[in-house]
Amino acid sequence: MKLLKSIVRPNKVDDVKDALAKLSIAGMTVTEVRGHGKQKGHTAIYRGKEYNVSLLPKMEIEVVVSDAIAEDAIKAIVQAARTGEIGDGRVFVLPVSESYRIRTGEVER
Amino acid sequence: MTPAQPDSIGSALKALFGAAREELRVATARGAGGRMALERYADRVDGLIRHVVVDAGPYEGEVAIIALGGYGRRHLCLHSDIDLLVLFGQAIGAPEERLVHRLLNPLWDLGVVVGHQVRALADFSQLETDNPEFLLALLDARPVAGARALFERFGAVFHEAGTHAFILRSLLTLIQERHAGFNDTLYQLEPDVKDAPGALRDLTAARTIAMLTEPLLLRRGPADAARFDDAEDFLLRVRSALHLEYGRNQNILSHELQERTAEILDYPGAETRLRVERLMSDYFRHARIVSRSLEFARRTAPVPVGPNMGLSRDGVRFIDPLQAARNPASWLGIFQAALDAGTEVSDEALSCIQQHVDRYRADDFFIDVEGRAALLRFLKPRPGLYARLSQMHDCGLLGRVFPEFQAISWRVVRDFYHKYTVDEHTLLTIRKLERLSGATEPYLARFGSLLADSQAPELLVLALLFHDVGKWRDDDHALESVRMAEQVLDRLQVSGEARDVVLFLIRHHLRMSLAAFRRDTEDPDIVRQFAGLVGTEERLKLLALMTLVDVDAVGPGTLTPWKGELLWRLYVDAYNHLTQRYGDERIERTEAGLTELQGHRPGDVSAAEVTAFLEGLPQRYLHVFPHDTIYRHIRLARDIKPDEVHLSLEQKGTTWALAAATLDKPFLFSNICGVLSSFGMNILRGHAFTNPNGLVLDAFEFTDEDRFFELNRDAQAQVLRVMQDVVSGRADVTELLKGREQGIFQAKNAQRFPPVVHADNKTSGRYTIFDIVAGNALGLLYRISRVISRHGCDVDLVLIATEGEKAIDVFHIAKAGSKLTEAEQIALTSDLQRTLEGTV
Repeated sequence: MKLLKSIVRPNKVDDVKDALAKLSIAGMTVTEVRGHGKQKGHTAIYRGKEYNVSLLPKMEIEVVVSDAIAEDAIKAIVQAARTGEIGDGRVFVLPVSESYRIRTGEVER
Repeated sequence: MTPAQPDSIGSALKALFGAAREELRVATARGAGGRMALERYADRVDGLIRHVVVDAGPYEGEVAIIALGGYGRRHLCLHSDIDLLVLFGQAIGAPEERLVHRLLNPLWDLGVVVGHQVRALADFSQLETDNPEFLLALLDARPVAGARALFERFGAVFHEAGTHAFILRSLLTLIQERHAGFNDTLYQLEPDVKDAPGALRDLTAARTIAMLTEPLLLRRGPADAARFDDAEDFLLRVRSALHLEYGRNQNILSHELQERTAEILDYPGAETRLRVERLMSDYFRHARIVSRSLEFARRTAPVPVGPNMGLSRDGVRFIDPLQAARNPASWLGIFQAALDAGTEVSDEALSCIQQHVDRYRADDFFIDVEGRAALLRFLKPRPGLYARLSQMHDCGLLGRVFPEFQAISWRVVRDFYHKYTVDEHTLLTIRKLERLSGATEPYLARFGSLLADSQAPELLVLALLFHDVGKWRDDDHALESVRMAEQVLDRLQVSGEARDVVLFLIRHHLRMSLAAFRRDTEDPDIVRQFAGLVGTEERLKLLALMTLVDVDAVGPGTLTPWKGELLWRLYVDAYNHLTQRYGDERIERTEAGLTELQGHRPGDVSAAEVTAFLEGLPQRYLHVFPHDTIYRHIRLARDIKPDEVHLSLEQKGTTWALAAATLDKPFLFSNICGVLSSFGMNILRGHAFTNPNGLVLDAFEFTDEDRFFELNRDAQAQVLRVMQDVVSGRADVTELLKGREQGIFQAKNAQRFPPVVHADNKTSGRYTIFDIVAGNALGLLYRISRVISRHGCDVDLVLIATEGEKAIDVFHIAKAGSKLTEAEQIALTSDLQRTLEGTV
């Protein structure tokens, strides 16, 4: 199993959700996050005064998928979240050794 | 009528007065100098005064003779002063003074001690705050002779909530001071039956407090009406006995007089000591009743806060609920009063409204312009507004005033987000808004500053109240909300820009969250489209606030700092677009706004004129000015010659609007600013536009701080004449401003806001943009624009705004048709900064 941890633009969440749904991946966790990558934010000016927008609002989408479909899922996320501009985000892939369903105690490896 | 001869008048009056006094003397001597006897004596004195008035002979004007104080209450003792008000309907001149003498001389001849006041009705338009005793005496005013209608008019002027509140405060102070003189105890061995605690003045004071606040107050007090009346009769009988024995206006029940008074009042007992003990025992019993009643009144009386409204411990309530029930137009006032006092409307008042509200229609609550204006004032967001609106909703008033709001009462819309019924969500948006001003979290505090700077935040509250009313149906609610809000605005007669703003906010209340949360706001096209939708900074500001509180009121945790950041970024980007990029967005021949203007143009404006005037002006122009104003500008620019400047000046409520059309002239903008400043005008907002044909249109909104227009008959013509002279070079604005400019930069605002000057050469393709924020001060714009002109730059477009004490100005400038070089920018920035800091 793999945990796909994607940091995407806020307006791309729905597109990513739709793309994952097409692969029958329904469960996901979405979190509002702030941060920056290479983009490092920028300086904005409001009424003549500069202010630094260093931590940009992003969305983090976490999904756990089987190894078999991990690659397709990653492709789907990248394709759905891409605009081609700086700030499109990242997908991190982490191995998951076990997963327990809390209600039943059932384990998946 | 021939006036009677003086001698015969004198003897007739003497006989009349003598008989009245003798009657009271006899009654007093047998212990019956109480209320009835005093009232009868007062009535006979009334008769005497009427005689005097008749005998005074004819008088052309309007006059009323009015009894005041104890005489007004008909508690006139044997040696009491007779307090009179001689009231004239017109100003007091020689004929009035002669009449006063003709009235008073016969009374003085009789030996009557008259305490007289002479006033014209107009004198009562201003409260005599330095004479609270006189104001108190006026509360007992009773017409004795003369024009009854004049007395009624006096009553209407005098009995006003503010006056009552002042008198009440004064009375409470007077009581405190008087009691202090008696060491705050009623148990005096030789009490003053008029002034001591528990004596006659306290009795009157308790009644006065009730009269000023709640007529039935004393019924809820520690003594029933009969015991209170008994106490009064007893004290009056004692006082009468003292006047009889002393032979003058003396009210101290001394040890000697206690014996005599006990005899007069026929106290039983074999020994004098026993009779005196019984008298004093009765005195203290009655004084205690009076004292406790007064204490109760002082503690519980509602403080008058408006007509028929008092503030008490349980909130603001109607003093006379029956009167309130008949006057639904006064109901909003009680919620406003509670808001002002930082308290709530009492349950009793809410019950009264709830009981009667169904008798009235929506139109009955705001019957005139004043009532409708009062509603808009009420809706200004501030702490407590949500709570008052909720009370209005709970008692059924909100739904009756606005049946449109009633449609969403307890309305449940099931979705994944909303946690409350639609009506409560709506009211919560207003609570979120009112709390913004005190918000400490940085992501909310910056929106709070937008609210503080907003010109008409009540329009936002109005929009919030109706933004979701369309949810009574299950389809697209925004459009239905607009339809319903139009009905409300029709009833409230909200028109023009205010109406457009409210409907705009309702129609587009979901657009900003859509753009901020679901669109790529880093895409300039998204920002441009959104800025195009809002059109002006004020609408942007209101829509940003509306979006924020609408999201926040969905449920706990819905608005996160993350979402707040997204909204703020879109706000800033759209604001910058509106204020800085508009110079590059010009009106084209195919522009929808231009077509619309062509379609509605009045008969005297040709299609060619409209096109020639508008084509090439920034698109912003269409957003900022209503159609009527645009047609006026077109007429102003008509047939303009190179050396001419066409001006128009008009008053718009409390502000003035000046439009100037001319072909481009150096220093034009700074000259106009300078002339306005030289007349003491405070420029609030302004725009300068230039079209490709060289036509310059400057439009200013300003206030006349020194009331120059009001105080000088030909002031408008004078300002326009000076403006013409300065623009055409016949007069020097610097000369005009001498003296005015002194101290400008010592002004507190200039120091409170350190000036900010920022140059931007990237945003616009045509202009270098200077953002300037500084403390607002007279002549500020003149100084800024003169520096810009001195650097050889042309001011092509200007946005001037003031927010509170801040001036926010954006100048689009070019030099010889091009943007400034970096060196030119640095030089100009530095010069502007030094000018604003007052170091040059």
